[in-house]
Amino acid sequence: MDESATDLALKTDELELSRESQTERLLLLIGGGFIAINFSALMLLRSSNNLIEWLPLLIWIGCAIGGHLLLHRYLANRDPLIFPLVMFLSGWGLVIIDRLAPRFADRQAIWLIVSVIMMFLTAEFPYLMRWLKRYRYTLLIGGLILLISTILFGTNPTGQETAPQLWLGFGGLFFQPSEALKVILVAFLASYLAEQYPLLRAEHLRDHRHLPLSPRIIGPMILMWLLAVIIAVWQRDLGTAVVFFMVFIILLYVASGYLWILVSGGFLTVLAAFAAYYLFSVVRLRIDIWINPWIEAEGRAYQIVQSLMAFAAGGIFGQGVGQGNPTFIPVVHSDFVFAALAEEWGLFGIIAMIFCFMLLIVRGFRVSALHQDRPFYALFAIGLSALLAIQSLLIMGGVLKLVPLTGVTLPYISYGGSSLLISFIIAGLLLRLSCGERS
Amino acid sequence: MDLAIILFGLRVLSALILLLLVLVLIWVIWRDYRATMSQITASRRAHGSLIVMQEIEGAYVLTGDIYPLLPLTSIGRSPTNTIRIEDTFASSEHALITRRNGQWWLEDRRSRNGTTLNGIAITKPVVITNGDMIGIGHIRYRVNLET
Repeated sequence: MDESATDLALKTDELELSRESQTERLLLLIGGGFIAINFSALMLLRSSNNLIEWLPLLIWIGCAIGGHLLLHRYLANRDPLIFPLVMFLSGWGLVIIDRLAPRFADRQAIWLIVSVIMMFLTAEFPYLMRWLKRYRYTLLIGGLILLISTILFGTNPTGQETAPQLWLGFGGLFFQPSEALKVILVAFLASYLAEQYPLLRAEHLRDHRHLPLSPRIIGPMILMWLLAVIIAVWQRDLGTAVVFFMVFIILLYVASGYLWILVSGGFLTVLAAFAAYYLFSVVRLRIDIWINPWIEAEGRAYQIVQSLMAFAAGGIFGQGVGQGNPTFIPVVHSDFVFAALAEEWGLFGIIAMIFCFMLLIVRGFRVSALHQDRPFYALFAIGLSALLAIQSLLIMGGVLKLVPLTGVTLPYISYGGSSLLISFIIAGLLLRLSCGERS
Repeated sequence: MDLAIILFGLRVLSALILLLLVLVLIWVIWRDYRATMSQITASRRAHGSLIVMQEIEGAYVLTGDIYPLLPLTSIGRSPTNTIRIEDTFASSEHALITRRNGQWWLEDRRSRNGTTLNGIAITKPVVITNGDMIGIGHIRYRVNLET
């Protein structure tokens, strides 16, 4: 009796399925198939019969089904690609982490549960957008307090004194506040620029000459940017500083439409790189081994050289999961996950992965295009997608030695709880924005 | 069966699924693109016309101008409007005609001199039908809907 009732419920559910949910379900199914096959191959290779080792896969499946059902119920007209893409990338990440550092996989899987729940709450939280817009200065001050507390009480999970102290720890849990600061900064910039948007547009329409922005518009932003960059450089977290700066430039460009902002932004980046080259030994090392890693292949450039070797070993179709040797790369599971992926899934795999990232970011821009009459929403969506885009480009380029290496994580894939959590919150915000206004 | 063969099979399978995923994603964005394009073309199609008349000594006279009625038609003095009026009586963004759920709505965009419907000034969005007269300044637009 009960069975037939649930059967009926399922059937009506199927009938009522919107096209969005159908697409989402199909994509999750295919992505899940890929992850399950690779996970099974990994388990077969380890020839383990211990059920507990299958836990990450089970958790992933649970998160995918739970997340999908919740979104299906509460966010009917969401973008159907964002959630499956994000789940696919994070599931792939889970497989790679389990393969590279099995003891971290369970931890990452638990972070995945937290992240999916937080993503859903972000997407469903009432009046969230209005609050973000209205209380931007409170938000910014909160973020800066978080950052200052990192400088004062920051630790490193490995416990080394020389490593960058970027984490806040409480009772065995570590969180990286700079990750949260990224989203806070984007919300602040978007809200601020949205307020100035009519002014910027009017200036543009009135005189078609490319005037520099008035200090009233640009002053507070430069100050705030300087603050963020100084703190980031002070913490020796170069990757975050670069991401901050580039997102700032892109948002300012999108809001104002002045091409010279992009040009001067590029110029300033090169200038900052030169200055940092002479000021910081870390930067000098990074740039030296970027220009020529081979003279120190056994020394300071060991990591990047091993990463290049991994790419070469991967070839077109890769070695297969668990059958390559990406563990030659030091700390491969966090920053160099991309190299491991290249070795075990080859060119084919990384093209598919980059395609997924690209699509995710394009969907973000599409969300932004939906809100042409609401500058805050449009700029916020642009900023969030730019955040994902720049961060993934920086680390993929760094691992491939296309650009100097900056220590940022690959969103969704790298090991790291705070990175995963914030990336899922970004997905949640994009999902919310893709639904349009509901206040 | 040999472990190596099973592993190879799984590798091939995983590559095929990855390919399938990419193809399905491409198909989804293609479908999306098609849907958006058809939506855009539908929104550009005229659904009727606005026939311009002018008040001369108490009588309405056809000026000969006919504008297409689009699902989003804006009227005003600014060149960004769908219908631009060269009349100092009109505000730069004067009125807006939109199609929502199969109905046509007229709203005044807080213009200085207001918009009238059949001679009555409107304060909030109203539904308009065939034969209605929209008044802006000395100009009248007769709504001519396609049925």
